[in-house]
Amino acid sequence: MEHIRTPKVEQVKLLDRFSNKTTTGTLHLTATHLIFVESNVSGAHEIWILHHHIASVEKLSLTTTGCPLLIQCRNFRVVHFVVPRERDCHDIYSSLLHLLRPESYDELYAFSYNPKQNEQQREEGWQLLDLTAEFERMGLPCDQWQLTDVNRDYKVCETYPRDLYVPITASKPIIVGSSKFRSKGRFPVLTYFYQEKKAAVCRCSQPLSGFSARCLEDEHMLQAISRANHNSRFVYVMDTRPKLNALANRAAGKGYENEDNYSNIRFQFVGIENIHVMRASLQKLLEVVGTRALSVTDYLAGLESSGWLRHVKAIVDAAIFLTKAVTVEGASVLVHCSDGWDRTAQVCSLGALLMDPYYRTLKGFMVLIEKDWISFGHKFADRCDQLDGDPREVSPVFTQFLDCVWQLMEQFPQDFEFSEWFLIQLHEHVHSCQFGNFLGNSQRQREELQLKERTYSLWAHLFSERHHCLNPLYSLSSAEKHPVLEPLTQPWNFRFWRNMYHQFDRSMHPRQSVLKHTLALKESNVQLEATVHALKMKLQKLGVSTSPLELLSRPWEHGPPSRPRSLILGAPLSRKEAQQEEEEEEVLGEEALEDGPDGSGGERTAEGSSATENGYGELQDSFGSKSEPAVVSLELGVARMTC
Amino acid sequence: MVQTVNCSYNLKSNRRTHSIRIHFSRLQGTEGRQQASTVGGGSTDTWRDHQSYCQRCHVHLSLLRSRKWHSDHHRLQALLQEPRTGMLELSIFQFSHLWKDPPFVLDVNLGAISRLETIGVQSHGENTRGLEIVCKDLRNPRFAYKKQEQSKLEILGMLSKYAFPLSHNLPLFAYKYQEKFPKDGWKVYDPISEYKRQGLPNESWIISKINSSYEVCDTYPAVLVVPASITEDELRRVSVFRAKRRFPVLSWIHPESQAAVVRCGQPLVGPSDRRCREDERYLQTVLDASAQSHKLCIFDARQSSVADTSKAKDGGYENESFYPNVELNFLEIPTIHVMRESLRKLKEAVYPTIDEQRWLSSVDATHWLEYIRLLLAGAVRIADRVEGGKSSVVVHCSDGWDRTAQLTSLAMLMLDAHYRSLRGFQTLLEKEWTSFGHRFASRVGHGDENHANSERSPLFLQFIDCVWQMTRQFPSAFEFNELFLITVLDHLYSCLFGTFLYNSEQERVSKEVFSKTVSLWSYINSHAEDFINPLYVHYEHHVLYPVASQRNLDLWVNYYVRWNPRMRPQVPVHQNLKDLLVMRAELQRRVEEIQREASSSRSLSSSSELGGTAMHTTT
Repeated sequence: MEHIRTPKVEQVKLLDRFSNKTTTGTLHLTATHLIFVESNVSGAHEIWILHHHIASVEKLSLTTTGCPLLIQCRNFRVVHFVVPRERDCHDIYSSLLHLLRPESYDELYAFSYNPKQNEQQREEGWQLLDLTAEFERMGLPCDQWQLTDVNRDYKVCETYPRDLYVPITASKPIIVGSSKFRSKGRFPVLTYFYQEKKAAVCRCSQPLSGFSARCLEDEHMLQAISRANHNSRFVYVMDTRPKLNALANRAAGKGYENEDNYSNIRFQFVGIENIHVMRASLQKLLEVVGTRALSVTDYLAGLESSGWLRHVKAIVDAAIFLTKAVTVEGASVLVHCSDGWDRTAQVCSLGALLMDPYYRTLKGFMVLIEKDWISFGHKFADRCDQLDGDPREVSPVFTQFLDCVWQLMEQFPQDFEFSEWFLIQLHEHVHSCQFGNFLGNSQRQREELQLKERTYSLWAHLFSERHHCLNPLYSLSSAEKHPVLEPLTQPWNFRFWRNMYHQFDRSMHPRQSVLKHTLALKESNVQLEATVHALKMKLQKLGVSTSPLELLSRPWEHGPPSRPRSLILGAPLSRKEAQQEEEEEEVLGEEALEDGPDGSGGERTAEGSSATENGYGELQDSFGSKSEPAVVSLELGVARMTC
Repeated sequence: MVQTVNCSYNLKSNRRTHSIRIHFSRLQGTEGRQQASTVGGGSTDTWRDHQSYCQRCHVHLSLLRSRKWHSDHHRLQALLQEPRTGMLELSIFQFSHLWKDPPFVLDVNLGAISRLETIGVQSHGENTRGLEIVCKDLRNPRFAYKKQEQSKLEILGMLSKYAFPLSHNLPLFAYKYQEKFPKDGWKVYDPISEYKRQGLPNESWIISKINSSYEVCDTYPAVLVVPASITEDELRRVSVFRAKRRFPVLSWIHPESQAAVVRCGQPLVGPSDRRCREDERYLQTVLDASAQSHKLCIFDARQSSVADTSKAKDGGYENESFYPNVELNFLEIPTIHVMRESLRKLKEAVYPTIDEQRWLSSVDATHWLEYIRLLLAGAVRIADRVEGGKSSVVVHCSDGWDRTAQLTSLAMLMLDAHYRSLRGFQTLLEKEWTSFGHRFASRVGHGDENHANSERSPLFLQFIDCVWQMTRQFPSAFEFNELFLITVLDHLYSCLFGTFLYNSEQERVSKEVFSKTVSLWSYINSHAEDFINPLYVHYEHHVLYPVASQRNLDLWVNYYVRWNPRMRPQVPVHQNLKDLLVMRAELQRRVEEIQREASSSRSLSSSSELGGTAMHTTT
């Protein structure tokens, strides 16, 4: 609080990024949020920006109207304020500089965030996912794989979880020996078990082989993995790095497995670039799409030269390779990169997503992230820049994974139980530090921070919001028919994820969303059923015999919260509005019900210029970010078209 | 391991179809080496599902689920049979190939053939010759046959005869196609009732019969809407001043502000800045007809430089100093030749192979999306002017039948929800495109073998692409689906229906198209359920403003890349959506049923209102 010198500045202008539109309002600075409240209109439009989301604040040179302040957020929001007085601007600027880079974990929002739940609810939230149960679901432990307690005190590998599954034939000395030969002690362990073929997906880090070093224990370890699978005589070793990078690592005493030393492996490079390339690539992509008045040529050429879609494709390709090896050939696969927590996590989890329909359900996907990312020590704190740290450690590895998942969802719209919105929420909260799940770099660190005692779980929050997170097109039968997905990888199957990277740029979104529409249809079905039911009840009460119709009906109260009636403009309204509407209905009673739902009456409605049509903003009635009914004026729309 | 496969090759030109159909079936059954791997995301969609492809001869093999097959040994032999009446059994190919599974069929519509060419195929060690069929719909299958069979190869002659009937003094296929449909598509568009729907005639506009015998303007329809205060004599003088005598006529009128969309050809100003008082008065009358605006907006679709050039050649554009209260805007859309070239490049980019590394830049190099954006942006400006500015607009290009048709029809699609229904869209096409004389015969080249004709240009395709872009941005605003758009495009080339034949209404009347051929709409409306978008909600008064920014424009992969060997359709969402719709209809029906029962029992009144709620929420 001591950093906040000016808690409130009035008459601040907010410039739209892609047009000349400005809005005036008041800027509030709180301990956790930067809030902009539009001043003029009644429907007070607010923007809430969590300090943790701010990636950079820039004070631009003074103009005649005031002092511009450019804020870029990790959730791809870019806001451009103009503060009338320079002193205010400087105060905000310097306060934000202090606030946006917390130096210790205790300063993070998660430790002060309180969603008004009692202790028991919070504990239940943390118990929602159980990784032991998940390994049981895969059929582990079994006759070839066992749970080892070698890492009980994080002694062997401090970035691994406590519970690890290894081949039954791998004795403790072998494990310890192998871990000493692996970078950061991350020895080969099982992450997914394909029961049908008894094939395992294992992960580790690069071997410390240098130019010629060998380690018998490590060779035994791979032998053991291979022996645990009777279907195949060999085990694939996937090095997800480009060969050049792996060669360069050899000079530093690291490197990759020599096929001559390991008798039973098939070695394969996959060629996914490192975190620095990915960081630069996304940076480039955002620069390109953030340009105003972008021509088609600049857009397409920029998209291509950023390489982002190519990198996404490389990861999907690797996951397909992994999936084929496991499901078709029935071979076990060992995946590693350098340290085995970035590209390895991407490939293993994406592969599992292709192989196992369970991971394509809402809960399954949470389990997958909990397992492959959180517990196996993807360095969320470093990669997402949660604390003031080394900027070279920051990289959009997880974002890229979500992008890959989205590309798959586009190809298989019926196979995922969760929606795009869910992915965007995940991305939001990985950076928000509002929940404890993603804090810290490893399981050990999280235990030290006592996150389960001091913070809340995101999974519980998302479960409570699950009606927003579900994909209405999800069909179980589709998953049964094709348990293993085989995505296409032609270039046109990889597209720019507009709803992610432009999620706050209202004018960038298409005017109607199929998702919303389908949800509305589903809901109207529920309502119709309910009406049928209510009518029947009424008839029965009056003693009128009804024809024996089979009722699928559910009682009224089972219906999800009401949605706007106008489907086109409709976004799920904020709950307050919905309630208001319900109340109005009750008050007005019968006359109101006679009115058409769209209320368009005789009036012509211009679409594409109306307010509540942002694809995603409207779902943000959740914490932290409030819904923002933007006003996109017609001039704006036309200005964009001509540019 | 080689399997010998039988391949029969039918050139069908009977009463029902008009296509070259190639059957491949297995001759000697030996089991395939590998189990076919079924690909994920299978669909129930029978429509062009699961295409596979022969790398060597660029033949698409539909119906093959397995894509694991080799093209290393590949031999085609042609054996020719005598043509029979009606159906031509042209040949039996012996097709050696490594694959299994059911026979596959390759259908190439004869109408879609743009060019036939014999080519040399060197690679197979034998002296083979080949046949390449270049199609208008972005593909070119190739066939190879042995040299010794060449003499028997009358197939080329037969093909070319039936593919280009007009060049061989044969009637177009539409005249032979006599399929009966329950619905009559020729009744879809009636100009009088369409204008009546728009509220015409009114005090300022009348329906004129001046062109009923097509003598004032031979490319205009018989029924036109012109200002009430303009005499026939003046009209004739205006028509002389406009290119191809296409004088300004009303296309659409705003139900409230009375702002009108007017189309015409360019004024024949010439280098000496000729004037025409009647034309000036005419435009003033158009402006006066809408009370709420003081400026008439003229949109010239051309690039201003091109307009200047044509001014030097007796064409030109309205001089703002002679026309008071007029504002002239150029929309800077390039000519039909540029568009043709763009599509040619697009085809190279998507068929038969794709440069994976440079996919986006190769799409960019075609400029196709750039032109789509220009069109959409232009149409949005027009629509905004009419809706927001409450001002009348005049749209023209050079002759007023290409870019003008694109722009007015797109603007009308944005302004008027009626045109976004299945029937309404047909009306729009019939009205703005066919009746107002878009030169379909020249632009598509129906039945004409002169493939290099510079009159050909994919303008209608561009329009449909724009519509598709709009359906992507407003998924529930259009009653028709993607299949409908693709079907329309397929039959633009097929010559199966009379709808898109010839250059003008006059020609169609004189060739008795309406009585002797079948309308495409007969077919579509008789199978309407296939073409309905389940997400459609009829909002009567919504105006759509699509965002014409490149971020929202996509290449229409399902159309342009559909013949690419590696193309596979995605899981059809629409089936699922259809199920939802059926369920909704069912529930609605039950509510109605119970409502009826309730009201017949008469003892209660409140329940009917309760029913009313539910009805409304679904409409």
